[in-house]
Amino acid sequence: MSHGDTIPLHPSSQSDIDEIENLINADVHSATVLPARPPSPPRVSIPISHSPSPLPPYQKVTPSASPPPVVPAVPAAAAAPAGSSRIGISSDAFGSSPDTLTEPVWDTVKRDLARIVSNLKLVVFPNPYREDPGRALRDWDLWGPFFFIVFLGLTLSWSASAKKSEVFAVAFAILAAGAIILTLNVLLLGGHIIFFQSLSLLGYCLFPLAIGALICMLEGNVIIKIVVVSVTLAWSCWAAYPFMSAAVNPRRKALALYPVFLMYISVAFFIIAID
Amino acid sequence: MCFCLQPSGENYANPKTCFFHVLFKAAALAFYILSALFVNSFVIIFVVTVFLAALDFWVVKNVSGRILVGLRWWNEIDEQGESVWKFECLDQESLARMNKKDSWLFWWTLYLAAVSWIFLGVFSLIRFQADYLLVVGVCLSLSIANIVGFTKCRKDAKKQIQQFATKTIASQFASSLQSAFSVV
Repeated sequence: MSHGDTIPLHPSSQSDIDEIENLINADVHSATVLPARPPSPPRVSIPISHSPSPLPPYQKVTPSASPPPVVPAVPAAAAAPAGSSRIGISSDAFGSSPDTLTEPVWDTVKRDLARIVSNLKLVVFPNPYREDPGRALRDWDLWGPFFFIVFLGLTLSWSASAKKSEVFAVAFAILAAGAIILTLNVLLLGGHIIFFQSLSLLGYCLFPLAIGALICMLEGNVIIKIVVVSVTLAWSCWAAYPFMSAAVNPRRKALALYPVFLMYISVAFFIIAID
Repeated sequence: MCFCLQPSGENYANPKTCFFHVLFKAAALAFYILSALFVNSFVIIFVVTVFLAALDFWVVKNVSGRILVGLRWWNEIDEQGESVWKFECLDQESLARMNKKDSWLFWWTLYLAAVSWIFLGVFSLIRFQADYLLVVGVCLSLSIANIVGFTKCRKDAKKQIQQFATKTIASQFASSLQSAFSVV
C-alpha cells in the first residue's frame, strides 16, 4: 500500500532524505541502491552517543567516505574556526528543509566526531552487536585509524633514542601497508569484506596497542612493558577476530587471521624492543 | 594561472569558505616546501603536512564542496554488505544560482594543488628521497580522491538534471494516478 509515495519511517531524517531523493532520483540510479534507505532507522537502537543536534540527526546515512589510501582528517580543530557560525546563506537560499547539503558546518563536525567514538566503541569494547560484525562497522570511517596510526608512530618515535625519523616513517608505512595488504589477503581468499571497512577495522583495532605503546613510553621496567604489551596485544587480537573470521569461509579462517595476528605481534615486539 | 579565464562582474558569494578552501591546501604545500629550510625533523614535516592535507580533504569534501558548488559524495554500505557510492547535488534552480566565481575557484585550486603535489613528487623522486615521497604520495592521493569524487558527482548532477527535466511531467502524472488508486 505504501510503496508508491515514500512514507517516512522517521519523520525527521527520513523525510528529508526522501525529498532529495524524489527531486534527484526520478529514475532509479544505477549507482544507488534505494531500498537500502528504509532499513536504516532500526540502527538507531545501537547504543551510540550522538550529541543531540537541533537539526534532524542525519545519523547513519552519510558516513564520510575516504580515498583509496589510508588517510583522512581529524575534523575537530580545523572546522571549528571554519564553521562555528552557521552558514546563513545556505539555509536561506537553498530549499525549505535542512539536509546534509545545507546543514551548518558545526553539525558536520559533530556528526563525524560522534561516528569516530561510536566506531571505536563498537570495535574495541564489548557490545551486543559483535556477533553481527558486518552490520556493526557499517559506517566505517578512516579518521580514527589515521589518528591512531599517527599516534602510535609518534609514541614509538618519541621512545626511540636514536633515528627517530626512521622509526616513525617505518612504523607508519608498515601499519598502513600492512592494513592494505591484510585486506587484500581477505579479498583474495574469497572473503566478503569491503576494502575501506576492513582498513577502518584494522586501524581501530590498533587502539589498544597505541595505549600500550603510550604506557611503555612512560614506564622503564622491561617486565612491566612485556605484561602491558601482552595484555593490549591480546585485546587487539580479540577485537579483530570476529570481523575477520566472519568475512571468510570457515575453512579459511586461520589463513585470514594469521597475518593479522602476525602484524599485531610484530608491532608489539617493536614496542617492547624500542629503547 | 590564467586570469583571463576568471569570470568578471560578480564577487565571491562565500568569501570565508573560499578562504578556508584555499587555506589548508596552500598551508600544506607551503609547509612542505619551506620546512626543508627550517625544520630538521622528518617526523614533524610528515605529521604536520599530512595533517594539513587531511584537514583540507575534510574541508573540501564536507564544507566547500557543499557551499561553493552544491555537490556532495560519500560511500555507504547497504543491507547486503555492498558498498555504494552516493552522489548528491542541490536541485536545479539552486545549482543555476551558484556563484560562478566560487565554482571557478573551487575547481581550479583543486586541480592546481594536485598538479603541485605531482611536481613535488617528481622532485623528491629525482633526489631518491623515499620518505618524502611517502608524504607527497599521501597528500596527492587525498587531492586526487577529492577530484575524482567531485567530478563524478558533477557528471551525475548534469545527467540527473537532464533526466529530471524530461521526467517531471511523467512523474506528476504517475503520482496523481497512484494517489487515485491508493484510495481504493
